[in-house]
Amino acid sequence: MSEKGANIDLLFRNGLKDYEVLPPPGVWDGIHPAIKIKSRTIIILRVAAVAAVLLTVGFLTYRWSNEITGIGGHSAMSLNTISPVTEISIPFDNPLTLVKKENKRINNSAVIEPDPVNPQAITEEVRQDIAPIPILNFKGPGIFSLTNKSIAESILQIPSGKEELSPVKIQYQPLFYDPENVNEKPVNRWSIAAMASPTYYSSINSGSDALSSQLSKMEQPLFSYSGGVAFAYKISKRFSIQSGLYYSSLGQKVDDINSFSGFGQYNSSKGSPGFEVITTSGTVVASNPDVFLSSGSSQRVATSYTVDVFDPKKASLQPVNSSLNQNFSYLEFPVLLKYRLVDKTIGINVIGGLSYNLLVHNTVTTTMNGTIYPVGDTRGLNPLSLSSSLGMGMEYNISGKLSLNLEPTFRYYLNPFSVTTGTFIHPYSFGIFSGVMYKF
Amino acid sequence: MSEIKKIIKGCLAGNRRDQELLYRRHASQLYAVCLQYSGNDEEARDILQEGFIKIFENLEHYKHEGSFEGWMRRITVNTALEKFRCRHNLYRVDDIDAIREPDAEPDNQDYAGLEANDLLTIIRELPTKYRMVFNLYAIEGYSHKEISSMVNISEGTSKSNLSRARNILQRRVGSYTGLKKKVVNE
Repeated sequence: MSEKGANIDLLFRNGLKDYEVLPPPGVWDGIHPAIKIKSRTIIILRVAAVAAVLLTVGFLTYRWSNEITGIGGHSAMSLNTISPVTEISIPFDNPLTLVKKENKRINNSAVIEPDPVNPQAITEEVRQDIAPIPILNFKGPGIFSLTNKSIAESILQIPSGKEELSPVKIQYQPLFYDPENVNEKPVNRWSIAAMASPTYYSSINSGSDALSSQLSKMEQPLFSYSGGVAFAYKISKRFSIQSGLYYSSLGQKVDDINSFSGFGQYNSSKGSPGFEVITTSGTVVASNPDVFLSSGSSQRVATSYTVDVFDPKKASLQPVNSSLNQNFSYLEFPVLLKYRLVDKTIGINVIGGLSYNLLVHNTVTTTMNGTIYPVGDTRGLNPLSLSSSLGMGMEYNISGKLSLNLEPTFRYYLNPFSVTTGTFIHPYSFGIFSGVMYKF
Repeated sequence: MSEIKKIIKGCLAGNRRDQELLYRRHASQLYAVCLQYSGNDEEARDILQEGFIKIFENLEHYKHEGSFEGWMRRITVNTALEKFRCRHNLYRVDDIDAIREPDAEPDNQDYAGLEANDLLTIIRELPTKYRMVFNLYAIEGYSHKEISSMVNISEGTSKSNLSRARNILQRRVGSYTGLKKKVVNE
């Protein structure tokens, strides 16, 4: 028999070697759109990545240039200047208006300080005049006078020519605050928030595969939720970087799979039944020895215990349910960029970024009169998946430090949970996160 | 750079002309494989379509180290297997005794006159499980251990299926050669 077998093997191996059959027309028409989708997706992702890099570089450049400007143009003195043009009154024939001279700043403390850039400019002039002559005379609130002509000319740019010097009176507006107590309001750069959301979970089947379309039709999303703690750091008035740790529970119901209990007594006698059900999220493998699975019209259960081998009804197994529940839990580590569109009592933010999702729990169950009945788990799941997030956040400020947040967020998983069907099945979720944020 | 390398490079760059050229060059060869693994033309067409989509998707992973035809064939066979794993319950595996016996006695030594399309017809008449195991063992050269994990059956079942497949094929081949001889003689 072995030799005969080898002969028949050789006959078919050699006979079918290099054999070609022209495929029916139209097959290419089904292939090309699927490739285009893939190419387009890659292009979109590349464009998005380039845009993200350009935005980041642009933003950092903007921040850096602002910091440079801040160092040169916003010293403590200039910030304390009351008005850019200080009006003075002098007893000369022609009243002059003092144009603020560059690098000559007038402090609220009513003391004229030397030019920080060229500190010797005034001190040299002071040395030339007689030291005991008072340079400044205080005449009362809001008025002081310069009694040295050359200094007055130097500082106020008064043309020389008059021999007699009358006191130059500079009037300035009275101070409405105590300069000693001037402290900038501290900016709350850090914030921590506790957020939670019910989540709608589904998937996009962008392939032209009949199998995955058929599988998708028999799957319904289960109630899903997500929640966790978020940290944010405000890097500028508008931008914040946000991260944190979230726990997400997702799931789907697989219809047309009948489950029965009480199979344990038969299970051991005929070898492993190896119940398997292919879903869009992976292959369900029954590990509970007490469960028997059979499919309805779809005949999706793969097992050696086919209906012609074992009939659960004849064996008086207890029917449990006609569907399975796939549950997946993920720990999510988001890295998000938040842009503040409106900065008022109700703030509006645009939030976008990526999230790394680590699979931590994976079960398949069914229910019997409200009681959860374990079946097994889903195999072939990617342990780590990457998702992109886009959301619009509303922030109601209760106080300076506390706010209520509402963030409708759309999340698209860049890589599928599983590659069982080998097609483009990408999950997505939509959730409305709500919670409380504390700023510090 | 060889022509196939140029075509692959063009495909990776998204050049439609190269993608179509790759398909036109290899579609006939791979469609024959699809027919060999499927029971009907519609399923073969689906396997070819899905297989080519996977080929284009995974083209960047091809390292130019082995035969490109062999690489494409493996993807096509794997696609057929995926379909089989999902759907094999759709096809009832007929009991060996229920299979119709051929009219003529098998002629084990004389297979003359059998052409490739005859062999394809015979192999496609096999029950799905037997066809899968026979193709994987006799044509692709996998071991029973490998087949058992690929098809989700035990090694014993794989051996048993192969034996039954050979048995059926020998009878069918005998029937075909007998009929052909009869036609020639007349």
